[in-house]
Amino acid sequence: MKQIQPRRKNSLGLIGWVWGGNYKIERYLYTLHRATGLGLLLFCLIHLSVTTFFRLQQSSWETAMAILHNPWFKLGEYLVVLAFAYHSLNGLRLIIQELGFGMGKPTPPVYPYRDSLRKNRRWSMALVGTAAIIALVFLYDFMSGG
Amino acid sequence: MKNTYLWLAQLVAGILVAVTLSIHMVWMHLDTILGALGIDIKEPTSWTSMLARSREIIWATLYIALLTFGLYHALYGLRNVIFELAKSPIARRVVTWTILTLGILALAWGTYVPIVLLRS
Amino acid sequence: MKSNGSKDTTFKVQRYNPEKDTSPYFDIFVVPTTRGMTVLDALLYIKENLDNTLAFRTSCRMAICGSCGMLINHYPHLACHTQIEELRTKTVTIQPLPNLPVIKDLVVDLAPLFEKHKSVKPYIIRSDTAEMDNPSAEFAQSPEELENFLQFTYCIKCGICISACPTSATDELFLGPQALAQCYRYCADTRDHGEQERLPRVDSENGVWHCHLAGACSDACPKGVDPALAIQLLKRRLVVRATKIAKEKGPAPVVSPPTYIKPKLPFPEFTAGRNAATTEG
Repeated sequence: MKQIQPRRKNSLGLIGWVWGGNYKIERYLYTLHRATGLGLLLFCLIHLSVTTFFRLQQSSWETAMAILHNPWFKLGEYLVVLAFAYHSLNGLRLIIQELGFGMGKPTPPVYPYRDSLRKNRRWSMALVGTAAIIALVFLYDFMSGG
Repeated sequence: MKNTYLWLAQLVAGILVAVTLSIHMVWMHLDTILGALGIDIKEPTSWTSMLARSREIIWATLYIALLTFGLYHALYGLRNVIFELAKSPIARRVVTWTILTLGILALAWGTYVPIVLLRS
Repeated sequence: MKSNGSKDTTFKVQRYNPEKDTSPYFDIFVVPTTRGMTVLDALLYIKENLDNTLAFRTSCRMAICGSCGMLINHYPHLACHTQIEELRTKTVTIQPLPNLPVIKDLVVDLAPLFEKHKSVKPYIIRSDTAEMDNPSAEFAQSPEELENFLQFTYCIKCGICISACPTSATDELFLGPQALAQCYRYCADTRDHGEQERLPRVDSENGVWHCHLAGACSDACPKGVDPALAIQLLKRRLVVRATKIAKEKGPAPVVSPPTYIKPKLPFPEFTAGRNAATTEG
Protein backbone atom coordinates (compact mmCIF):
# COMPACT_ATOMS: atom_id res chain seq x y z
CA MET A 1 0.00 0.00 0.00
CA LYS A 2 1.43 3.35 -0.98
CA GLN A 3 2.35 5.42 2.09
CA ILE A 4 1.82 9.12 1.59
CA GLN A 5 4.52 10.93 3.55
CA PRO A 6 4.80 13.44 5.04
CA ARG A 7 1.32 13.85 6.43
CA ARG A 8 -0.13 17.32 6.16
CA LYS A 9 0.46 19.33 9.35
CA ASN A 10 -2.84 20.35 10.83
CA SER A 11 -1.90 22.11 14.09
CA LEU A 12 -3.75 25.24 15.05
CA GLY A 13 -0.50 26.99 15.99
CA LEU A 14 -0.42 30.20 18.01
CA ILE A 15 -4.01 31.02 17.00
CA GLY A 16 -4.96 27.89 18.94
CA TRP A 17 -3.97 29.63 22.16
CA VAL A 18 -6.35 32.50 21.51
CA TRP A 19 -9.37 30.83 19.90
CA GLY A 20 -9.65 27.14 19.28
CA GLY A 21 -13.37 26.79 18.72
CA ASN A 22 -16.69 27.30 20.47
CA TYR A 23 -15.39 26.16 23.85
CA LYS A 24 -16.70 27.18 27.24
CA ILE A 25 -15.40 30.18 29.14
CA GLU A 26 -12.76 28.40 31.25
CA ARG A 27 -10.65 27.81 28.16
CA TYR A 28 -10.59 31.56 27.49
CA LEU A 29 -9.77 32.31 31.12
CA TYR A 30 -6.54 30.41 30.28
CA THR A 31 -5.92 32.65 27.25
CA LEU A 32 -6.48 35.80 29.32
CA HIS A 33 -4.21 34.47 32.06
CA ARG A 34 -1.41 33.96 29.55
CA ALA A 35 -1.96 37.38 27.93
CA THR A 36 -2.00 39.22 31.28
CA GLY A 37 1.08 37.30 32.42
CA LEU A 38 3.09 38.30 29.38
CA GLY A 39 1.82 41.88 29.64
CA LEU A 40 2.82 42.09 33.29
CA LEU A 41 6.28 40.69 32.48
CA LEU A 42 6.82 43.34 29.84
CA PHE A 43 5.66 46.07 32.20
CA CYS A 44 7.87 44.70 34.99
CA LEU A 45 10.99 44.96 32.85
CA ILE A 46 10.20 48.52 31.75
CA HIS A 47 9.25 49.51 35.31
CA LEU A 48 12.51 48.12 36.68
CA SER A 49 14.51 50.26 34.23
CA VAL A 50 12.50 53.42 34.95
CA THR A 51 12.45 53.21 38.74
CA THR A 52 16.22 52.79 38.93
CA PHE A 53 16.36 56.40 37.70
CA PHE A 54 15.87 57.12 41.37
CA ARG A 55 19.53 56.50 42.10
CA LEU A 56 20.36 59.51 39.90
CA GLN A 57 19.69 63.09 40.94
CA GLN A 58 16.37 64.52 41.93
CA SER A 59 15.96 66.47 38.68
CA SER A 60 16.17 63.38 36.43
CA TRP A 61 13.68 61.58 38.65
CA GLU A 62 11.24 64.45 38.56
CA THR A 63 11.54 64.74 34.77
CA ALA A 64 10.80 61.05 34.45
CA MET A 65 7.80 61.32 36.77
CA ALA A 66 6.50 64.35 34.89
CA ILE A 67 6.50 62.33 31.67
CA LEU A 68 4.80 59.39 33.34
CA HIS A 69 2.00 61.51 34.73
CA ASN A 70 0.68 61.93 31.21
CA PRO A 71 -2.92 60.51 30.93
CA TRP A 72 -1.91 57.87 28.38
CA PHE A 73 0.67 56.47 30.78
CA LYS A 74 -1.91 56.64 33.55
CA LEU A 75 -4.23 54.53 31.39
CA GLY A 76 -1.37 52.08 30.86
CA GLU A 77 -0.84 51.89 34.62
CA TYR A 78 -4.55 51.23 35.10
CA LEU A 79 -4.40 48.39 32.58
CA VAL A 80 -1.50 46.95 34.56
CA VAL A 81 -3.63 47.08 37.71
CA LEU A 82 -6.46 45.32 35.83
CA ALA A 83 -4.09 42.69 34.50
CA PHE A 84 -2.66 42.09 37.96
CA ALA A 85 -6.09 41.83 39.58
CA TYR A 86 -7.22 39.23 37.04
CA HIS A 87 -3.93 37.32 36.90
CA SER A 88 -3.57 37.04 40.68
CA LEU A 89 -7.15 35.92 41.32
CA ASN A 90 -7.19 33.47 38.42
CA GLY A 91 -3.76 32.30 39.56
CA LEU A 92 -5.16 31.63 43.01
CA ARG A 93 -7.91 29.53 41.42
CA LEU A 94 -5.31 27.66 39.35
CA ILE A 95 -3.12 26.96 42.41
CA ILE A 96 -6.09 25.48 44.25
CA GLN A 97 -7.41 23.47 41.32
CA GLU A 98 -4.05 22.29 39.95
CA LEU A 99 -3.22 20.80 43.34
CA GLY A 100 -6.45 18.84 43.07
CA PHE A 101 -8.45 20.69 45.73
CA GLY A 102 -12.03 21.61 45.03
CA MET A 103 -12.16 19.50 41.88
CA GLY A 104 -14.26 16.76 43.41
CA LYS A 105 -13.76 13.01 43.27
CA PRO A 106 -13.84 11.01 40.05
CA THR A 107 -17.39 9.75 39.51
CA PRO A 108 -18.55 7.38 36.77
CA PRO A 109 -19.87 9.56 33.92
CA VAL A 110 -23.63 9.82 33.59
CA TYR A 111 -25.03 11.80 30.64
CA PRO A 112 -25.29 14.87 30.48
CA TYR A 113 -21.64 15.05 31.51
CA ARG A 114 -20.53 17.83 33.81
CA ASP A 115 -16.78 18.02 34.14
CA SER A 116 -15.06 19.28 37.28
CA LEU A 117 -14.35 22.74 35.85
CA ARG A 118 -18.00 23.19 34.88
CA LYS A 119 -19.02 22.21 38.41
CA ASN A 120 -16.73 24.91 39.80
CA ARG A 121 -17.95 27.61 37.45
CA ARG A 122 -19.60 29.61 40.24
CA TRP A 123 -16.25 29.95 42.01
CA SER A 124 -14.39 30.86 38.79
CA MET A 125 -17.00 33.51 38.02
CA ALA A 126 -16.90 34.77 41.62
CA LEU A 127 -13.13 35.28 41.27
CA VAL A 128 -13.53 37.11 37.97
CA GLY A 129 -16.24 39.22 39.61
CA THR A 130 -13.90 40.04 42.49
CA ALA A 131 -11.26 41.12 39.98
CA ALA A 132 -13.87 43.38 38.37
CA ILE A 133 -14.73 44.92 41.76
CA ILE A 134 -11.04 45.57 42.47
CA ALA A 135 -10.79 47.16 39.02
CA LEU A 136 -13.68 49.50 39.87
CA VAL A 137 -12.12 50.47 43.21
CA PHE A 138 -8.86 51.37 41.48
CA LEU A 139 -10.77 53.14 38.70
CA TYR A 140 -12.35 55.46 41.25
CA ASP A 141 -8.95 56.32 42.63
CA PHE A 142 -7.40 56.79 39.19
CA MET A 143 -10.22 59.09 38.11
CA SER A 144 -9.94 61.18 41.26
CA GLY A 145 -6.32 61.90 40.41
CA GLY A 146 -4.47 59.03 42.08
CA MET B 1 11.47 15.50 40.16
CA LYS B 2 13.32 18.71 39.28
CA ASN B 3 10.40 19.97 37.23
CA THR B 4 8.02 19.31 40.14
CA TYR B 5 10.14 21.44 42.45
CA LEU B 6 10.41 24.24 39.88
CA TRP B 7 6.64 24.22 39.46
CA LEU B 8 6.00 24.22 43.22
CA ALA B 9 8.40 27.15 43.56
CA GLN B 10 6.33 28.93 40.90
CA LEU B 11 3.20 28.51 43.02
CA VAL B 12 4.88 29.72 46.20
CA ALA B 13 6.45 32.67 44.36
CA GLY B 14 3.06 33.46 42.85
CA ILE B 15 1.40 33.72 46.25
CA LEU B 16 4.23 35.85 47.66
CA VAL B 17 4.18 38.14 44.61
CA ALA B 18 0.43 38.55 44.95
CA VAL B 19 0.85 39.67 48.57
CA THR B 20 3.82 42.00 48.07
CA LEU B 21 2.58 43.45 44.79
CA SER B 22 -0.86 44.12 46.31
CA ILE B 23 0.78 46.11 49.08
CA HIS B 24 2.86 47.98 46.50
CA MET B 25 -0.10 48.73 44.23
CA VAL B 26 -2.36 49.83 47.06
CA TRP B 27 0.37 52.15 48.38
CA MET B 28 1.13 53.61 44.95
CA HIS B 29 -2.37 54.03 43.56
CA LEU B 30 -5.00 54.17 46.26
CA ASP B 31 -3.98 57.44 47.93
CA THR B 32 -7.48 58.92 47.71
CA ILE B 33 -9.20 55.94 49.33
CA LEU B 34 -6.49 55.43 51.92
CA GLY B 35 -6.60 59.12 52.68
CA ALA B 36 -10.32 58.79 53.41
CA LEU B 37 -9.53 55.91 55.75
CA GLY B 38 -7.05 58.04 57.66
CA ILE B 39 -3.76 56.85 56.21
CA ASP B 40 -2.05 59.83 54.65
CA ILE B 41 0.33 59.00 51.83
CA LYS B 42 0.70 62.24 49.88
CA GLU B 43 2.21 61.70 46.44
CA PRO B 44 3.97 58.32 46.75
CA THR B 45 6.08 58.96 43.67
CA SER B 46 7.46 62.32 44.77
CA TRP B 47 11.17 62.60 45.53
CA THR B 48 10.69 63.23 49.25
CA SER B 49 8.31 60.34 49.66
CA MET B 50 10.59 57.96 47.76
CA LEU B 51 13.59 59.08 49.83
CA ALA B 52 11.68 58.54 53.07
CA ARG B 53 10.71 55.01 52.03
CA SER B 54 14.22 54.17 50.89
CA ARG B 55 15.51 54.86 54.42
CA GLU B 56 13.21 52.26 55.96
CA ILE B 57 14.35 48.68 56.05
CA ILE B 58 10.82 47.31 55.81
CA TRP B 59 10.26 48.94 52.43
CA ALA B 60 13.67 47.84 51.16
CA THR B 61 12.87 44.27 52.23
CA LEU B 62 9.48 44.45 50.56
CA TYR B 63 10.93 45.69 47.29
CA ILE B 64 13.72 43.13 47.22
CA ALA B 65 11.27 40.33 48.05
CA LEU B 66 8.87 41.55 45.37
CA LEU B 67 11.66 41.66 42.81
CA THR B 68 13.02 38.19 43.64
CA PHE B 69 9.71 36.36 43.64
CA GLY B 70 8.35 38.41 40.77
CA LEU B 71 11.35 37.70 38.58
CA TYR B 72 11.25 33.97 39.33
CA HIS B 73 7.51 33.72 38.70
CA ALA B 74 7.57 35.79 35.51
CA LEU B 75 10.67 34.18 34.00
CA TYR B 76 9.51 30.63 34.77
CA GLY B 77 6.21 31.50 33.07
CA LEU B 78 8.05 32.96 30.09
CA ARG B 79 10.24 29.85 29.87
CA ASN B 80 7.12 27.68 29.83
CA VAL B 81 5.57 29.74 27.04
CA ILE B 82 8.77 29.62 24.95
CA PHE B 83 9.13 25.87 25.56
CA GLU B 84 5.70 25.33 24.00
CA LEU B 85 7.06 26.89 20.83
CA ALA B 86 10.73 25.81 20.77
CA LYS B 87 10.97 22.07 21.03
CA SER B 88 14.54 21.04 20.20
CA PRO B 89 16.69 20.20 23.26
CA ILE B 90 19.50 22.58 22.20
CA ALA B 91 17.11 25.50 21.75
CA ARG B 92 15.56 24.76 25.13
CA ARG B 93 18.94 24.68 26.85
CA VAL B 94 19.91 28.01 25.23
CA VAL B 95 16.60 29.55 26.30
CA THR B 96 16.99 28.30 29.89
CA TRP B 97 20.51 29.68 30.27
CA THR B 98 19.60 33.00 28.64
CA ILE B 99 16.61 33.46 30.92
CA LEU B 100 18.66 32.48 33.97
CA THR B 101 21.39 34.98 33.07
CA LEU B 102 18.96 37.80 32.35
CA GLY B 103 17.12 37.04 35.57
CA ILE B 104 20.25 37.17 37.70
CA LEU B 105 21.35 40.40 36.02
CA ALA B 106 17.95 42.00 36.56
CA LEU B 107 17.95 40.86 40.19
CA ALA B 108 21.42 42.27 40.80
CA TRP B 109 20.50 45.55 39.13
CA GLY B 110 17.21 45.85 40.97
CA THR B 111 18.54 45.04 44.44
CA TYR B 112 21.57 47.29 44.08
CA VAL B 113 19.49 50.46 44.26
CA PRO B 114 17.56 49.86 47.54
CA ILE B 115 20.66 48.45 49.29
CA VAL B 116 22.79 51.43 48.30
CA LEU B 117 20.07 53.86 49.35
CA LEU B 118 19.58 52.07 52.66
CA ARG B 119 23.22 52.39 53.51
CA SER B 120 23.38 56.07 52.51
CA MET C 1 -39.93 21.30 4.64
CA LYS C 2 -40.61 18.65 2.03
CA SER C 3 -43.55 16.29 2.08
CA ASN C 4 -41.49 13.48 3.60
CA GLY C 5 -40.49 15.78 6.48
CA SER C 6 -36.97 16.36 5.24
CA LYS C 7 -35.27 19.67 4.66
CA ASP C 8 -32.09 20.49 2.81
CA THR C 9 -29.02 21.21 4.87
CA THR C 10 -25.80 22.48 3.35
CA PHE C 11 -22.60 20.69 4.32
CA LYS C 12 -19.24 22.41 3.84
CA VAL C 13 -16.72 19.58 3.99
CA GLN C 14 -12.96 20.13 3.97
CA ARG C 15 -11.30 18.09 1.23
CA TYR C 16 -7.65 17.31 0.70
CA ASN C 17 -6.17 14.64 -1.52
CA PRO C 18 -2.37 14.50 -1.02
CA GLU C 19 -1.89 12.98 -4.46
CA LYS C 20 -3.60 15.86 -6.26
CA ASP C 21 -3.97 18.90 -3.99
CA THR C 22 -1.37 21.23 -2.50
CA SER C 23 -3.72 22.68 0.12
CA PRO C 24 -7.16 21.87 1.53
CA TYR C 25 -10.36 23.37 0.12
CA PHE C 26 -14.07 23.15 0.91
CA ASP C 27 -16.69 21.20 -1.04
CA ILE C 28 -20.37 22.09 -0.70
CA PHE C 29 -22.99 19.35 -0.56
CA VAL C 30 -26.74 19.66 -0.08
CA VAL C 31 -28.20 16.78 1.88
CA PRO C 32 -31.89 16.12 2.64
CA THR C 33 -31.95 15.78 6.43
CA THR C 34 -34.69 14.62 8.75
CA ARG C 35 -35.10 14.72 12.49
CA GLY C 36 -32.90 12.10 14.10
CA MET C 37 -30.20 12.13 11.42
CA THR C 38 -26.65 12.34 12.69
CA VAL C 39 -23.77 14.06 10.93
CA LEU C 40 -22.42 10.57 10.17
CA ASP C 41 -25.66 9.70 8.38
CA ALA C 42 -25.23 12.82 6.26
CA LEU C 43 -21.60 11.93 5.45
CA LEU C 44 -22.64 8.42 4.44
CA TYR C 45 -25.38 9.93 2.24
CA ILE C 46 -22.76 12.17 0.61
CA LYS C 47 -20.44 9.22 0.06
CA GLU C 48 -23.18 6.99 -1.34
CA ASN C 49 -25.03 9.52 -3.50
CA LEU C 50 -23.00 12.65 -4.15
CA ASP C 51 -19.25 12.03 -4.00
CA ASN C 52 -17.84 8.59 -3.35
CA THR C 53 -14.27 9.90 -3.05
CA LEU C 54 -14.99 11.48 0.34
CA ALA C 55 -12.79 9.79 2.95
CA PHE C 56 -13.71 9.52 6.63
CA ARG C 57 -13.47 6.94 9.38
CA THR C 58 -16.51 5.26 10.89
CA SER C 59 -17.23 1.99 12.59
CA CYS C 60 -19.66 1.43 15.43
CA ARG C 61 -21.99 4.43 14.80
CA MET C 62 -22.80 4.43 18.54
CA ALA C 63 -20.02 6.53 20.16
CA ILE C 64 -18.00 3.63 21.54
CA CYS C 65 -15.22 3.01 19.01
CA GLY C 66 -13.93 6.59 18.73
CA SER C 67 -13.33 6.46 14.95
CA CYS C 68 -15.48 9.35 13.72
CA GLY C 69 -14.01 12.30 15.61
CA MET C 70 -14.09 15.47 13.50
CA LEU C 71 -14.46 19.22 13.84
CA ILE C 72 -18.14 20.02 13.31
CA ASN C 73 -19.02 23.73 13.34
CA HIS C 74 -15.62 24.52 14.90
CA TYR C 75 -16.03 22.13 17.83
CA PRO C 76 -14.75 18.55 17.99
CA HIS C 77 -17.54 15.99 18.08
CA LEU C 78 -18.06 12.34 17.28
CA ALA C 79 -20.01 12.49 14.00
CA CYS C 80 -22.17 9.52 14.96
CA HIS C 81 -23.07 11.17 18.26
CA THR C 82 -24.07 14.58 16.87
CA GLN C 83 -27.60 15.21 15.69
CA ILE C 84 -27.83 17.64 12.78
CA GLU C 85 -30.78 19.33 14.48
CA GLU C 86 -28.81 19.98 17.67
CA LEU C 87 -26.34 22.11 15.69
CA ARG C 88 -29.13 24.59 14.85
CA THR C 89 -27.45 25.97 11.73
CA LYS C 90 -28.41 25.83 8.07
CA THR C 91 -24.80 25.15 7.07
CA VAL C 92 -22.73 22.52 8.80
CA THR C 93 -18.93 22.92 8.47
CA ILE C 94 -16.96 19.71 8.80
CA GLN C 95 -13.17 19.65 9.10
CA PRO C 96 -10.69 17.03 10.25
CA LEU C 97 -9.58 17.06 13.90
CA PRO C 98 -6.90 19.75 14.41
CA ASN C 99 -3.51 19.13 16.06
CA LEU C 100 -3.19 15.73 14.34
CA PRO C 101 -1.67 15.31 10.85
CA VAL C 102 -4.16 14.87 7.99
CA ILE C 103 -3.94 11.84 5.69
CA LYS C 104 -6.86 12.62 3.39
CA ASP C 105 -10.09 14.65 3.65
CA LEU C 106 -11.43 13.99 7.16
CA VAL C 107 -9.02 11.17 8.04
CA VAL C 108 -6.27 12.13 10.52
CA ASP C 109 -3.18 10.19 11.49
CA LEU C 110 -3.68 8.90 15.01
CA ALA C 111 -0.16 7.48 15.29
CA PRO C 112 1.04 10.39 17.52
CA LEU C 113 -1.82 9.64 19.92
CA PHE C 114 -0.97 5.95 20.08
CA GLU C 115 2.78 6.57 20.46
CA LYS C 116 2.23 8.97 23.36
CA HIS C 117 -0.25 6.58 24.95
CA LYS C 118 2.23 3.69 24.71
CA SER C 119 5.00 5.82 26.19
CA VAL C 120 3.18 6.20 29.53
CA LYS C 121 3.06 2.39 29.92
CA PRO C 122 -0.72 2.00 30.13
CA TYR C 123 -0.78 -1.44 31.76
CA ILE C 124 -0.54 -2.85 35.27
CA ILE C 125 3.10 -3.04 36.40
CA ARG C 126 3.90 -5.15 39.43
CA SER C 127 7.00 -6.79 40.82
CA ASP C 128 5.37 -10.21 41.42
CA THR C 129 5.62 -11.33 37.79
CA ALA C 130 5.03 -14.99 38.71
CA GLU C 131 1.60 -14.11 40.03
CA MET C 132 0.91 -11.95 36.96
CA ASP C 133 1.79 -14.80 34.58
CA ASN C 134 0.02 -17.55 36.52
CA PRO C 135 -2.65 -15.92 38.64
CA SER C 136 -3.72 -17.88 41.67
CA ALA C 137 -6.49 -15.52 42.79
CA GLU C 138 -7.81 -12.02 42.12
CA PHE C 139 -6.18 -8.84 43.48
CA ALA C 140 -7.97 -7.24 46.42
CA GLN C 141 -9.58 -3.94 45.36
CA SER C 142 -12.57 -2.44 47.13
CA PRO C 143 -15.38 -0.64 45.26
CA GLU C 144 -14.19 2.66 46.80
CA GLU C 145 -10.69 2.11 45.42
CA LEU C 146 -12.20 1.36 42.01
CA GLU C 147 -14.26 4.58 42.07
CA ASN C 148 -11.02 6.58 42.42
CA PHE C 149 -10.08 5.87 38.79
CA LEU C 150 -13.11 4.25 37.15
CA GLN C 151 -14.16 7.45 35.36
CA PHE C 152 -10.87 7.54 33.45
CA THR C 153 -11.23 4.00 32.17
CA TYR C 154 -14.05 5.08 29.85
CA CYS C 155 -11.60 6.67 27.40
CA ILE C 156 -12.24 5.51 23.82
CA LYS C 157 -9.02 7.05 22.38
CA CYS C 158 -10.88 9.19 19.87
CA GLY C 159 -8.32 12.03 19.94
CA ILE C 160 -10.90 14.78 20.51
CA CYS C 161 -9.22 15.96 23.72
CA ILE C 162 -5.90 16.43 21.88
CA SER C 163 -7.69 18.56 19.30
CA ALA C 164 -9.23 20.69 22.02
CA CYS C 165 -6.02 21.22 24.04
CA PRO C 166 -4.45 24.68 23.47
CA THR C 167 -0.99 23.38 24.43
CA SER C 168 -1.21 20.67 21.78
CA ALA C 169 -1.88 23.41 19.23
CA THR C 170 1.77 24.49 19.31
CA ASP C 171 3.62 21.74 21.16
CA GLU C 172 3.62 18.46 19.22
CA LEU C 173 5.83 16.88 21.87
CA PHE C 174 3.29 17.49 24.65
CA LEU C 175 1.93 14.16 25.87
CA GLY C 176 -1.63 15.37 25.61
CA PRO C 177 -4.63 14.96 27.87
CA GLN C 178 -5.35 11.41 26.72
CA ALA C 179 -1.94 9.96 27.64
CA LEU C 180 -1.72 11.93 30.90
CA ALA C 181 -5.20 10.88 31.99
CA GLN C 182 -4.39 7.25 31.23
CA CYS C 183 -1.12 7.58 33.17
CA TYR C 184 -3.16 8.71 36.17
CA ARG C 185 -5.66 5.89 35.61
CA TYR C 186 -2.86 3.35 36.06
CA CYS C 187 -1.05 5.18 38.87
CA ALA C 188 -4.30 5.45 40.86
CA ASP C 189 -5.16 1.79 40.27
CA THR C 190 -4.34 0.07 43.57
CA ARG C 191 -3.31 -3.09 41.74
CA ASP C 192 -0.48 -1.19 40.03
CA HIS C 193 3.00 -0.50 41.40
CA GLY C 194 4.60 1.13 38.37
CA GLU C 195 4.37 4.84 39.19
CA GLN C 196 8.17 5.08 39.48
CA GLU C 197 8.53 3.76 35.93
CA ARG C 198 6.05 6.20 34.45
CA LEU C 199 7.37 9.27 36.26
CA PRO C 200 10.37 10.18 34.06
CA ARG C 201 8.05 10.42 31.07
CA VAL C 202 5.39 12.42 32.82
CA ASP C 203 7.44 14.63 35.15
CA SER C 204 9.27 16.12 32.19
CA GLU C 205 9.05 19.34 30.24
CA ASN C 206 6.73 17.75 27.68
CA GLY C 207 4.71 16.05 30.36
CA VAL C 208 2.20 17.18 32.88
CA TRP C 209 3.75 20.60 33.63
CA HIS C 210 2.69 22.01 30.26
CA CYS C 211 -0.96 21.58 31.22
CA HIS C 212 -2.38 24.90 32.37
CA LEU C 213 -5.96 23.83 33.15
CA ALA C 214 -7.72 25.35 30.16
CA GLY C 215 -10.20 22.49 30.59
CA ALA C 216 -11.14 22.30 26.91
CA CYS C 217 -10.31 18.58 26.90
CA SER C 218 -12.91 17.80 29.54
CA ASP C 219 -15.37 20.13 27.85
CA ALA C 220 -15.06 18.34 24.51
CA CYS C 221 -14.73 14.72 25.71
CA PRO C 222 -17.66 12.77 24.25
CA LYS C 223 -17.61 10.13 27.02
CA GLY C 224 -17.40 12.39 30.06
CA VAL C 225 -13.96 11.06 31.03
CA ASP C 226 -12.84 14.48 32.41
CA PRO C 227 -9.12 14.19 31.55
CA ALA C 228 -8.47 17.60 33.15
CA LEU C 229 -9.42 16.15 36.53
CA ALA C 230 -7.10 13.19 35.99
CA ILE C 231 -4.21 15.49 35.08
CA GLN C 232 -4.64 17.71 38.15
CA LEU C 233 -4.85 14.63 40.36
CA LEU C 234 -1.67 13.40 38.67
CA LYS C 235 0.03 16.72 39.49
CA ARG C 236 -1.06 16.26 43.08
CA ARG C 237 0.43 12.76 43.09
CA LEU C 238 3.73 14.09 41.75
CA VAL C 239 3.82 16.87 44.36
CA VAL C 240 3.05 14.42 47.18
CA ARG C 241 5.81 12.15 45.92
CA ALA C 242 8.34 15.00 45.57
CA THR C 243 7.61 16.50 48.99
CA LYS C 244 7.21 13.08 50.63
CA ILE C 245 4.09 14.24 52.44
CA ALA C 246 2.38 10.84 52.46
CA LYS C 247 3.87 7.37 52.78
CA GLU C 248 3.94 5.24 49.68
CA LYS C 249 1.50 2.36 49.74
CA GLY C 250 2.31 -1.03 48.29
CA PRO C 251 0.24 -2.54 45.51
CA ALA C 252 -2.98 -4.44 46.21
CA PRO C 253 -2.21 -7.92 47.48
CA VAL C 254 -3.68 -11.10 46.13
CA VAL C 255 -6.91 -12.00 47.88
CA SER C 256 -6.02 -14.51 50.55
CA PRO C 257 -7.82 -17.86 50.50
CA PRO C 258 -10.95 -17.93 52.65
CA THR C 259 -10.25 -18.72 56.30
CA TYR C 260 -13.78 -19.77 57.10
CA ILE C 261 -16.21 -21.50 54.81
CA LYS C 262 -19.78 -21.07 55.91
CA PRO C 263 -21.17 -24.57 56.41
CA LYS C 264 -23.88 -25.55 53.98
CA LEU C 265 -27.34 -25.90 55.40
CA PRO C 266 -28.64 -29.46 55.28
CA PHE C 267 -31.30 -30.24 52.67
CA PRO C 268 -34.88 -29.84 53.96
CA GLU C 269 -36.70 -32.93 55.19
CA PHE C 270 -39.08 -33.17 52.24
CA THR C 271 -36.17 -33.64 49.81
CA ALA C 272 -34.75 -36.54 51.84
CA GLY C 273 -36.25 -39.19 49.54
CA ARG C 274 -34.99 -37.49 46.35
CA ASN C 275 -31.56 -37.00 47.85
CA ALA C 276 -31.34 -40.63 48.85
CA ALA C 277 -32.36 -41.66 45.32
CA THR C 278 -29.58 -39.59 43.64
CA THR C 279 -26.88 -40.65 46.06
CA GLU C 280 -27.78 -44.30 45.56
CA GLY C 281 -27.69 -44.00 41.80
